[in-house]
Amino acid sequence: MRKTLLSITILLLAALMIATPNFSPQAAAQDSTTLKIWHYESPDGAMGAAWQAAMDKFEELHPEVTIEFESRGFEEIRQTAPMILNSDEVPDVMEYNKGNATAGFLSQNGLLTDLTDVAIEYGWDQILSPGLQTTSRYENGIMGSGQWYGVTNYGEYVMVYYNKDMFAEHGVEVPATFEEWEAAMQTFVDAGITPLSVGATEYPAQHIFYQLVLSQADRDWVNAFELYQGDVDFHDEAFTYAAEKIVDWVERGFISDDATGIPAEDMGVAFTNGEHPMMVSGSWWYGRFMNEIENFEWGTFLWPGNDLHAGSGGNLWVVPANAKNKELAYEFIDITMSPEIQSILGNAGGIPVNADLEQIEDPMVRELISNFNAIIEADGFAFYPDWPAPGYYDILVSGVQELIAGTMSPDEALDFLADPYFEYRETVTD
Amino acid sequence: MAVKSVSLDRGYWVFLLPGAVALLLVIIIPFLINVGISFTAWNGITEPTWIGLDNYQKAAHDKTFWMSFQNNLYIIVAMTIIPTIIGLFLAAFLYDFVANKIGNRVASVFRAGYYLPQILPVAIAGVVWRWILQPRWGVLNWLLDQVGMEPRNWLGDADIAIYSVMGIMVWFQIGYPLVIFMAALQRVDPELYEAASVDGANWLEKFIHITIHQIRPEIFVVVLMTLIHSLKIFAQIFVLTRGGPGRATIVPSYFAYQNFFEKANVGYGATIATIMTVIIILLTVLFINVQSRQELREAA
Repeated sequence: MRKTLLSITILLLAALMIATPNFSPQAAAQDSTTLKIWHYESPDGAMGAAWQAAMDKFEELHPEVTIEFESRGFEEIRQTAPMILNSDEVPDVMEYNKGNATAGFLSQNGLLTDLTDVAIEYGWDQILSPGLQTTSRYENGIMGSGQWYGVTNYGEYVMVYYNKDMFAEHGVEVPATFEEWEAAMQTFVDAGITPLSVGATEYPAQHIFYQLVLSQADRDWVNAFELYQGDVDFHDEAFTYAAEKIVDWVERGFISDDATGIPAEDMGVAFTNGEHPMMVSGSWWYGRFMNEIENFEWGTFLWPGNDLHAGSGGNLWVVPANAKNKELAYEFIDITMSPEIQSILGNAGGIPVNADLEQIEDPMVRELISNFNAIIEADGFAFYPDWPAPGYYDILVSGVQELIAGTMSPDEALDFLADPYFEYRETVTD
Repeated sequence: MAVKSVSLDRGYWVFLLPGAVALLLVIIIPFLINVGISFTAWNGITEPTWIGLDNYQKAAHDKTFWMSFQNNLYIIVAMTIIPTIIGLFLAAFLYDFVANKIGNRVASVFRAGYYLPQILPVAIAGVVWRWILQPRWGVLNWLLDQVGMEPRNWLGDADIAIYSVMGIMVWFQIGYPLVIFMAALQRVDPELYEAASVDGANWLEKFIHITIHQIRPEIFVVVLMTLIHSLKIFAQIFVLTRGGPGRATIVPSYFAYQNFFEKANVGYGATIATIMTVIIILLTVLFINVQSRQELREAA
């Protein structure tokens, strides 16, 4: 008898345990004292440090609110965001990728909160220049105008990192033109050194490809490709030039053909170890290089000869449509926009959008920020090549790998890139 | 008597119920939904649109789709054919030679060692293999360099990436046939070997005529299981190459995943998954048929 009682109790307990999770979300809905935040920046990077400070500040202002922070992976969010945000288990505020393929796609499908009124109320529309607002606003899933669905609080752009010691050793000056730059790379090749550190199993190679495209493009071209304003031809001068140039650079030894086996991380490590004098990549490396490069002097310059550069406002804070504590989320976003937090971001090697330059101590960071401001003033942000369509990132990785490996001719690779682009664009612009 | 057996049959059905319900919920219903989705254009969020067989027509003309199946053939060689053959010889060697001449314990250690890759989490093993094969500072290239051979870009060179993946798959897979075959060998009557030895058969003759013949049911099972496994291959590709460089190592399940989750082409992803399932079911039915026909012939 006792045994039966015991088993019944266990059974009941088990049934309860299965049933409870179904009740907890409803319970949390009434409970406005937790703020659930997700982001995927590393804790020692500039954004990670600044946002941690913002969370501390928020808790100071709202002692009654508990912050529930979860560190997520970039890849995880990139691949599963539509499914997570379509469920009940959403955070109140979340870092998310900008662009048509990501924030645009979600906004079009009603998964993100329209922040237009909030942005005006808090004055975010005054803080962010129109160039930076491009990635915050979406109309029918296409960025550039319309309602606010996200807010960025930092900037990023692609530049050339260089090893000053290696430049001095080989008598190479910082190049002012594209021709000078190619000549500089040739100097290193002649000395038996591969000039560019490139990782082609992930994003870096497609940024080089896109910078080459941009060298032959103008603002209208960018608007056509990224914002679907006008026709795009993948066999036009700009694309053809870039595809042929990649092949040319591999043949001349500017890019090593083993790059197809190198991930982004290893590219950065190779540059840090002084194996290559240059690396083309984004400002997200800056804070890390400040900490990790000890054996040589380094600096950066903008891609020589380009008016347009891959870059934009950084990732967005978005508020999921199913979020439970939207008001608190807005307040948290506003704290991350405050000059106080923005200065922390800048001092840690990030690019703030609302900082007092006087508050930035490091001269190198000041140079980084002033280069960024120069691009803003010249209206030079061309965004990133993988933005136009969901999953386009993988297509670009594959396509540029095929070019570097020589397994596709430039024409074939461009066709390979064209098909998925038009396939998605037609579904949006119909 | 007849009445009793009917009531007995009815009694058994109750025990089948939990399994049947689970099968229905976890396999049959999702499969039917998946088939349904494959006839639609759907981004995973908004309402799906019915487009009939369009996705299947698209698959028929999609080069990447065909490439993924071609790569799958390589994976079958690496996960089914090679491990089964090596597993047979290795099991016979460990059983006949190591266990008999050196000791059972040594044979067990070897068996456990060969089985280890099956237990290791795929993600960890994959990351370690990527380190080993890293083109600049990977251990393999360092070793080759030490002995004066040319280093290679193992996973990054489109011409050899699939062979590198195949090599790793053999490593992953070898333990499974080995363990099954070694267990099977215990079942073989030693008198058969003794009789053959008396008749003057050498090791190879005994291996072919007795060992392989006697453990044929296990060989069938191993081939079938590894075949299904290799058709579904996903995790290893995901960790090692993501189908790259270019599309050199893309396989159907990864291609389906890309469409389903990353490109928001859920309908097309479902189509690829459906085609894969049909192929796996056909192969399994074919295989089991051949096996039971053979058993019948032997019985007769």
